[in-house]
Amino acid sequence: MAIPTFTGLETALRGLTAAQAAIDTTGQNIANANNPGYSRQTAVLAESDSLDLPAFSNTTGHGVQLGTGVDVTTINRVRDQFLDVQYRAQNSATSGLQTASGLLQQVQTALAEPSTDGVTSQLTAFWNSWSNLANAPTSLAAKQGVVDSATTLADTFNGIDSQLQTIQNQADSQYTSLTSSSGQIQSDANQIAALNGEINQALGAGQSPNNLLDQRDQLLDDLSQYGTVSVTDPGNGLLVVNFGGDMSTPLVNGKSANSVSSLNLGPNSGGTIGTLAGLVSPTGQISGYLNTLNQFATTLANSVNALHTATPFFAVNTSTTSLGATATTLSVAVAPANVQTTTTSNPGANDVAMAIAGLAGGAADQDYSSFVSQVGSDVQSNQSNLTTANTLLSSINGQRESVSGVSLDEEMTNLITYQRAYEASARMMNTINSTLDTIINQVGAGL
Amino acid sequence: MFGRITTMMTAQATMSDLTLAFDRLTQTQSELSSGKKIQEPSDDPYGMSLIVSMQGQLGALTAYGNNITDGTAWTQASQTAMTNIANIVQRVRELTVAASNGTNTTSNLSGYAAEVQQLISAVKQEANTTYNGQYLFAGTANVQPYQTSTGDLYQGNSGSSAVIDRLIGPNTTVQVNVDLSQVLGNGAAGQGGPDGKLLDTLNNIYQDMTTGNTTALTNTDLGNLDTNFSNLTQMQASLGATEDRLQLASSRIQDLNTADTTVLSNTQDADMAQTEINYSTQQAAYQAALKAGANIVQGSLLDFLK
Repeated sequence: MAIPTFTGLETALRGLTAAQAAIDTTGQNIANANNPGYSRQTAVLAESDSLDLPAFSNTTGHGVQLGTGVDVTTINRVRDQFLDVQYRAQNSATSGLQTASGLLQQVQTALAEPSTDGVTSQLTAFWNSWSNLANAPTSLAAKQGVVDSATTLADTFNGIDSQLQTIQNQADSQYTSLTSSSGQIQSDANQIAALNGEINQALGAGQSPNNLLDQRDQLLDDLSQYGTVSVTDPGNGLLVVNFGGDMSTPLVNGKSANSVSSLNLGPNSGGTIGTLAGLVSPTGQISGYLNTLNQFATTLANSVNALHTATPFFAVNTSTTSLGATATTLSVAVAPANVQTTTTSNPGANDVAMAIAGLAGGAADQDYSSFVSQVGSDVQSNQSNLTTANTLLSSINGQRESVSGVSLDEEMTNLITYQRAYEASARMMNTINSTLDTIINQVGAGL
Repeated sequence: MFGRITTMMTAQATMSDLTLAFDRLTQTQSELSSGKKIQEPSDDPYGMSLIVSMQGQLGALTAYGNNITDGTAWTQASQTAMTNIANIVQRVRELTVAASNGTNTTSNLSGYAAEVQQLISAVKQEANTTYNGQYLFAGTANVQPYQTSTGDLYQGNSGSSAVIDRLIGPNTTVQVNVDLSQVLGNGAAGQGGPDGKLLDTLNNIYQDMTTGNTTALTNTDLGNLDTNFSNLTQMQASLGATEDRLQLASSRIQDLNTADTTVLSNTQDADMAQTEINYSTQQAAYQAALKAGANIVQGSLLDFLK
């Protein structure tokens, strides 16, 4: 049996087509070299079905299989799903720390230490004004000085307290806006659900929807910054995405997305890691700070009031319902003329003023110093965790980039390889053409 | 190390290195410009707590220092007044000795008596000295201790409630006033006395001079005056001891102040030489990173293909 006349032409054509597809893929890679969500693609080539020639050989009488060239079976997307899982977990942790870091930094700034505006300086000025009054117990100017410095101190408390509450409120409203039905999380979930549908359809049609897969992976990356993302792929492209540690109600279930509010977002409604957790956990911390500030203000006011026996010097709000009750409302309750200098009826005595001045450097100062140091070390440990998390994230990102990123050198090499292959296939076609020319035009010419 | 290296990886690594280098540079620059190595509590939480307590202590030391200055001024004013009284007593003693001489005429004696009367009101004036609006010798009552015209009765208070203290250290107080009424007393009979104290004695001297009772002047008045004088100098000595104590406290406060300021400075202030060197090093590193960034991905296989 003979070989069909045009088989060679067909083989050369397949070579040309495959080389062209590979060159086009290379072109696609080069064009997307700097696209962060892009996964590089490769044209997967395979030999096409061979031609069976049953009794081609006269000597052995056996048939042979003649190759018919190459097929482009698919355009593959190079991606490591395990690195994606690692990246998303680390991204959640890093984003959570980043968010917490911002909030804690604001708390630290609100304390204004070390400076002349912080509580430390105001406290020193307050004690010293009592000392001055002890030196001149009958002086109305010294009494005015005590009331002035006490008012400044109380104002500083009120200011810090209201700043801390503002930070807390901001965190709360950021949390609400992220988890609302028009928030970023819901929007990501809806888009993932829509892409699930399209990908499912394309896979069903036997296609490889690389660009849709890239888009979906990027949305999952984006989602992972808000909370834990765990993805289950049943194989048909209809991903099930669990979010924020809720393993019972998925955020995205195939083609449909559940509302964020229907999820159980773990402890304190923020999951354990991610921006949401970051917004919730410092809120807890800030409540703690407010509480400490309040206790400090209460202790200070009570210790002064205990010595200022005639009338309370500071107005203390003993309400237990509001967190920063004392710190919020702390104020001076006496007029300058009523500032008490003595428990006796002798106007020149200074026992009360001296006793209050003697509180300087005592428990109140120590408490505040350890409070400031506590805030400082919280910020510091958060920052050092954040640095570590950032390093890990960029390392995982590097690995991912190593797998999926486009290397221009590699692409140029491929370009040359496929260009040469294309040229060779064209030459092949030329050669076949000239053999056919021999058959058709030379053999039997002149008949 | 990774199997494949892509241009994007190089770019990202360079970018993050640049950010880090710039971050360090900014930190050092702000240390240089502020002169402080701790600018936020998180820079060094332990150091921060040290700064806060040192600032508190320094504030308290300043207050103690002020109290000591004020106490010293108080005791010095008291000392001056008491020295003046001592001089007056000496003058009265001279007059008494002169008056007890039997050769004096009546007019001589009444001349002495007139001077003694003046000196008595001078004593009361000294006892009424004020400092910063407060009577030095009225205890805590803050009233004029002796009426200048009517009688010699002491108007202030005495005893434990009359003590005026200054806070000169943590839980350390020192009494700065003295109860001069213990020496001056309440004057002669009919005025609050007789109590044998200075004003009583002076009044007796005046009476004895007026009546020409030279025997009483010699036998009783002179002896009483000497006793009163020695009580006065004893009180001056005890006030002098208080002054010494304040002086000691003052130099101790100054030492503590120096020590605390040193600790504060060591904790808070940047070591300028070290920081300058760090700054130069970091600047060089940053510039190298910038240069590397500018040269990144300039070469590729493309350059060598025709």
